[in-house]
Amino acid sequence: MSPLEQEPGARPVSLIDLADQYSRKRALLAAIVALVFLAVQLVGRPVFTGQRAASPGVSLQYWAINVVALLLVLATGGGLFNGARVRALVNDDVALQHRRSALGAGFWLAMSVAMALYILPLGRTFTAREAVYLIVTPSVFFALLTFSFLELRAHGV
Amino acid sequence: MSERLINHLKRERANRGLTQADLASMVGVSRKTINTVENEIFIPSAILALRLAAALKMTVESLFEIVDS
Repeated sequence: MSPLEQEPGARPVSLIDLADQYSRKRALLAAIVALVFLAVQLVGRPVFTGQRAASPGVSLQYWAINVVALLLVLATGGGLFNGARVRALVNDDVALQHRRSALGAGFWLAMSVAMALYILPLGRTFTAREAVYLIVTPSVFFALLTFSFLELRAHGV
Repeated sequence: MSERLINHLKRERANRGLTQADLASMVGVSRKTINTVENEIFIPSAILALRLAAALKMTVESLFEIVDS
């Protein structure tokens, strides 16, 4: 059933209602996905051997795929299979500002972690891959969570 | 002294018997946008402010106001 088709007898759903429902779901899902992403990293953190491997391990590949997918959601707002009109409503001025704020929050966290890794005497050295992992993981998590928080607040949740 | 943008959107919308969804539909934005503008969480762009004023048949200056905070 397409988003605009209705079951017989059901109350008609306007585009505004549909966009509202989708936007709420997206905000909730962003928080859940961010928390799951972080939990998976905390539980099954990849092991960095300090050696330059020919290819990254399986968990690092999963991590990279996850990060790319989450960044795509952050960049596009997701919902690529929704109709153009619903997508325009879901990604209207407020959502775009929330996305900008979320990306800004992620950027500043990334800079903070990167500077901390560079300046603080942490007692060990990091491989480039490990440093990228330590910078990107919390930044993507924080950006998604910020987006979710701003969207849910706008919805009055 | 800093300045703050306030608006009379909620009052004017209610005076016309419109819901947030009605106004959102007239302007072509989401209900969330109307809600955040009314609660002064979101400062609308000039384009959106003009569209809101046009939908309510008002001028932008009568719908939005700068006050000293």
